[in-house]
Amino acid sequence: MSNVPKRITLEEWDIQYERLQQAGIGQPDYGGPLSRHLEDGNQRLLKLRYDNSAAALRLWNFLLTEEDRLHDARVKGKKLVGTMKDLGTVPVMAYSFDNLVAFYPDGAWWIPCVMELGAGLLSIADSLGIDESFCPVRAMLGAFVTGAHFPIPDRLICSVGATCDDFSAIAQRLNSLGHPILWWEIPHRRKAEPDEVAVNLPGGFSVPKDQVEFVKSELERVKTALEELAGEQLDEKKLSAGIKKANQVRRYLAELRRLAFTAELCPIPALEMLIAEMLAIHFCSDRQETIEVLKELLSEVKARVQAGVGVLDAEAAKIFWVNPVADLYVMNLLEDCDGRICGTEYLFTHALDEIPEKLPPVEALARMALADPMVGSSVQRAQRICADICRFGSEAVLISRIPGASHCALEGRVISEIVQDKFNIPVLEIEVPPVIDSMRPTVRTRLEALVETIKARRKK
Amino acid sequence: MKTIIYTCPYVPAEWIAAHHLMPSRVIPQAADETGPLGRAEGVCPYVQSFINEVTMDKQAAGVVITTVCDQMRRASDILQCDIPVFLMNVPNTWQSLGVQRLYIDELKRLGRFLIGLGGKSPSDDVLAEIMLKYDTARTSILAAGGYLPARQHAETIAAFGRDGPPEIPKNTTGLDLLIEGVPLAIVGGPLMRQDFDIFDIAEQAGGRIVLDATETGERGMCPPFDRRRLHEEPLMELANAYFGGIQDASRRPNSELYKWLKRRLNERNVRGIIFHRYVWCDMWHAELQRLKDWTDLPVLDIDTAGDNETRLHRAANRIRAFLEMLQ
Repeated sequence: MSNVPKRITLEEWDIQYERLQQAGIGQPDYGGPLSRHLEDGNQRLLKLRYDNSAAALRLWNFLLTEEDRLHDARVKGKKLVGTMKDLGTVPVMAYSFDNLVAFYPDGAWWIPCVMELGAGLLSIADSLGIDESFCPVRAMLGAFVTGAHFPIPDRLICSVGATCDDFSAIAQRLNSLGHPILWWEIPHRRKAEPDEVAVNLPGGFSVPKDQVEFVKSELERVKTALEELAGEQLDEKKLSAGIKKANQVRRYLAELRRLAFTAELCPIPALEMLIAEMLAIHFCSDRQETIEVLKELLSEVKARVQAGVGVLDAEAAKIFWVNPVADLYVMNLLEDCDGRICGTEYLFTHALDEIPEKLPPVEALARMALADPMVGSSVQRAQRICADICRFGSEAVLISRIPGASHCALEGRVISEIVQDKFNIPVLEIEVPPVIDSMRPTVRTRLEALVETIKARRKK
Repeated sequence: MKTIIYTCPYVPAEWIAAHHLMPSRVIPQAADETGPLGRAEGVCPYVQSFINEVTMDKQAAGVVITTVCDQMRRASDILQCDIPVFLMNVPNTWQSLGVQRLYIDELKRLGRFLIGLGGKSPSDDVLAEIMLKYDTARTSILAAGGYLPARQHAETIAAFGRDGPPEIPKNTTGLDLLIEGVPLAIVGGPLMRQDFDIFDIAEQAGGRIVLDATETGERGMCPPFDRRRLHEEPLMELANAYFGGIQDASRRPNSELYKWLKRRLNERNVRGIIFHRYVWCDMWHAELQRLKDWTDLPVLDIDTAGDNETRLHRAANRIRAFLEMLQ
């Protein structure tokens, strides 16, 4: 364990960085003081609070150097795959090749936040007819136009079907701007009917065998496209090895989540946990380093739990968070209001559940893809949330609406009704834009009210 | 006969009718805030109105919803009605054999649902006969397009969707081809009942809608069946015409929609496009700028959040100004 755990500012990190240097703590080649990332225009970093451990420093540096890694990969002759929308499936396949690197251009949705709108990506999306009535992922269009954030991928692959309309529409717009896309279909997940054979999925749901077979055939198409790009065949052995590596990441995350959400004192802030969870999607463009980063973070968290120390008050209100936030600062704000994350559903639980290793590998990936919370009904999503509320002992649910997102318009009320029926706990819905500053007092008041409600209920 | 309601054009009415049930395509009345969803931020007004319509329907034996758009897919989660709901997977991609097979499998699954509601499994002959009847009616309705006032033609298409083929086909013999007014196209998703006023507004302002490329109009009708295939493999031909023939903004890629439009805009000498979309409909909203970039024709954006007087006046003013510029 590095030192007394606490949340610190970027300025304080510079001092902490010096201390770590003097203590001789080693860093990977992408290491360095966090404040250097301000030079890239990442002004939001000045407003955030960070965990003060060396493990967190490594995590942040790993995240904030991804663009460099992608450029390096291209220079080294690797092919870049832009995987879109499926949040976790295709990258497992892509990283099973030796010379492919996959990343999500969708991740550009955080650029307006991190650069405090300074990159102008949303304005570019506006000019292309994709205005603020769309999800902030529209920033991706701007990133493709400027080419200033990530290298334009050698191949774009996008899942459609049972996905959100925003992303599907934005990807089609991207396609119309001259970026060819390999579309693959993911059908709406449904239960098997009496005359159909049911197949279990990671995460606990089941589907008719025919749906698995269909998705398998779609993933075979994706596999063929990747083989053409890579110039090599992907046999079962290689893909199985890729799945095992992905599961290593998932196992570390499962343990991290268990400890972070159930320890008496919160051992790691919400923001670092959000970033750690995100690594599962595409390994931040370096699968092996993801494993190392998570290993170190887990070791830090374990040490803190063992020592009985944490970063938040012991009485912090335990909140289950639904949907990722467009402004990272909100995760800090919750903790400033004496809240604590105990359970998350950031729209990619299928990237956290272990992929079955005993099945033929493409079938295992098909089952994983069908377990995507977006692919099924909001009712099933609510059921999964309920199961996790039981596991983590959450005292309330916070549904973070993504502005303009097609799924947020109707799912909030479904999740809210089911959770309240089952647990009779408070549910609050807030909307989080890419930069929350102008709405901060309102959001803060709502978060404070939620925390107060939770604490008042404890006394009854 | 029991009625099955739906709104998506990818649901083949013939398939429902062949099961001895009455297909009825809903064109909803715009919902207000007193509907089951109340004031719902971010919900497409069409979806909201459809939910309202289904909830109020006390006659229908079943409702078919499709996955073509995300909000409609999610509508099936919140529909609290006594009518059995069938959610049909309609793929957005269309180029692979796998998705075509999926569509056919979904039709078969829909068939089982219909049988569960009291329908009868159709023989190929029965299906073929019904397909012929619908095909003949569709052809006659489309042929009447240039001879009827635009609203009347749009309402004829709507009536066909709601009630099935008319007993007496539309006869345009003796009618003159309409040639007055600036030829316009209306492009977009489905219309609600109130939206049919747009046809009158355009006409009163000196225009004439010669291409109804909305989902409730000509664009939502499948192309004519191949008569030989219809007799040999009717279900395959049905799927081919509907899944392969109806072009929509939701398809990936949706390049065929632009090919479909290009041909008809040229054929009918269209001079301006009214682009009709609902607030929060991402699929069509995203096409607006692309359409403007794609065509040399002027495009008028009519966005609507539902039904109110202000909306109608605003739309009317914009259409009048648009036509003043075109005349």
